[in-house]
Amino acid sequence: MAKKIIINTRNIERVYTNGMIKTYALKDISVQINEGEFVAIMGPSGSGKSTLLHQLGLLDIPTKGEITIDGEDVVHLSDSERTRFRLEKLGYVFQSYNLIPELTALENVYITPMARGQNSEEYKKNATDILDKVGLGDRIHHYPSELSGGQQQRVSIARALVNKPKILFADEPTANLDSDSSEDTVRLFRQLNKEIGQTIVMVTHELEEGKKADRIIWVKDGLLDKNKK
Amino acid sequence: MNKQDLKVISFLAYKNIAKSKSTFIVIIAVMAMSFLSITFFAAIIDGLGYEFEEGMIEGLTGHLMIEPTKDDLYITNSDTLVKNIKRIPGVVGVAPRLESSVIATYKNTEMGIPVFFIDADEELKVSNFHENILLGEYLSSKDTNELLIGADLIESYAKEDDTQKRLDVNVGDTLLLSFSNGEVRDYKVKGIFKTGSKFSDDKILINTNEYSKIFGKDDIASKILIRLPDRGSEGYYTQKIIDLGVSEQINPWQTKMGAVKQFVGSLQITNKITGFIGLLTAFATIYIIIFINVTNKRKQIGILKAVGIKKEIILGSYVLQSLIYGVVGVVLGNIVMQGLLALLTMHPLSMPIGDVVPILTFDRLITTSATLIFASIIAGFFPSKKAADDNILEAIFGG
Repeated sequence: MAKKIIINTRNIERVYTNGMIKTYALKDISVQINEGEFVAIMGPSGSGKSTLLHQLGLLDIPTKGEITIDGEDVVHLSDSERTRFRLEKLGYVFQSYNLIPELTALENVYITPMARGQNSEEYKKNATDILDKVGLGDRIHHYPSELSGGQQQRVSIARALVNKPKILFADEPTANLDSDSSEDTVRLFRQLNKEIGQTIVMVTHELEEGKKADRIIWVKDGLLDKNKK
Repeated sequence: MNKQDLKVISFLAYKNIAKSKSTFIVIIAVMAMSFLSITFFAAIIDGLGYEFEEGMIEGLTGHLMIEPTKDDLYITNSDTLVKNIKRIPGVVGVAPRLESSVIATYKNTEMGIPVFFIDADEELKVSNFHENILLGEYLSSKDTNELLIGADLIESYAKEDDTQKRLDVNVGDTLLLSFSNGEVRDYKVKGIFKTGSKFSDDKILINTNEYSKIFGKDDIASKILIRLPDRGSEGYYTQKIIDLGVSEQINPWQTKMGAVKQFVGSLQITNKITGFIGLLTAFATIYIIIFINVTNKRKQIGILKAVGIKKEIILGSYVLQSLIYGVVGVVLGNIVMQGLLALLTMHPLSMPIGDVVPILTFDRLITTSATLIFASIIAGFFPSKKAADDNILEAIFGG
């Protein structure tokens, strides 16, 4: 059975303009990612890999081109529609965890299902279950400042997964972690991908991590590097 | 905005405040101090103005004052008129007065002094002389050849740098008084009074029976002072007195304020200006503090947007936090202010015009509270709106 394409981009371009100077961060990028695929985006520093992830994850808007996610044209969505789309269909894991320091691990995880309108019992149970799944069942009432980097990143993964997103985006999720925690994180991604068929798009600069994905998309100078496979 | 959104707004606002207690305490302390700085000074000025007016009411005018018509020197048949007015329900007191002046001589000092011939018993209900006896005793209606003298006429109560001529008398000393009809009599000082009002403390008070003996006239009055239950009911009682068939002038205390009115008016204008400047300063201070607080949360705002929290929810949570800062700060300021007012009511500020109790008017309370709460909402709204409108990546990663 043919796999369903969940992300489809056509000729996307991202240009930053400063006065008369134009800087091309992405040029003519066309990629397809299948549902249930674990894809790594790799490339040298400044190649545009994070910029590409931000376009795919609706955190930024491309200057040109088309992006379709789960069959929906996401480039032309209004600001509030994009917010809703992120809440309903996407999950994010950032390099520096980006948890809300005023919220406990549990609250950081259930804030998005709460915003989706789930009832209190439901969102607390879902958040507790997912924190349990990432190995933080005994830390749910801890604040981010009381957790290690690896634990914070796992909270961040739990937050990204709690709404069962169509796609999980991870932007250099292991960059601030020690080697053990990094390995744990990538292993967890692999496990989620295998067990529940979670689509994952991960930016990394570590080849070993990239090799654990189903496929690597190489980016260089804002273009797809087709010489690398 | 639905019920669920409001729940998230309240949750985020509560967590932000609960986790940043020191910020919360600093902001509400600034709010409370701003509230106090605006209201306390204004309350003292209002209390000062009120004290000036009360000084006039209690010493010179009463709430209402009946005066002779333009063509007459005196109110005639004053005894009957006083009795009739006293019968009006609610009237607290009615006191006829005769005004004159004398040349007072003591040792080698001679001074021209205004004199009030009073009904000592009736004055108890109208004026405050009896409450302000510094030395000696208040007059009784049976006293003859005795007088009360204001402290401003006595040398021992003069300030060091005051060179105005005064009498070096004390309680028990005898003054020689020369009246306008040539009559000269000795009067013993029975008491010295100091009301704090310079319009009263430069007078001599003698029993009205003495007037009949000196001038041979009775049943007349220069003025009849009427004490009412409170300020503000002058119009009602004026009509009641007119209904008695009184043809003399009936003037409320406000028409007799003269210089006091100008002075109090000047104080009130000063109060309005300083109050306005105080409000602006407080507005700016609160705006800056809340602005900095919200600006420091820019990254959190970006994260919340990134994970799909609506802009309206983020904005709402910061505006709600600001509203809570405003309300709690103003309530705290109010509590401290009420405490200060209670304390100063028990122990009034001693000022040259007398004891001053600060007065916080309801209007000032509402205006100040509303302005400070408004300032905090505005201060929360604009920076959080800007952060919520910002590009997500700039908010999270800076730029």
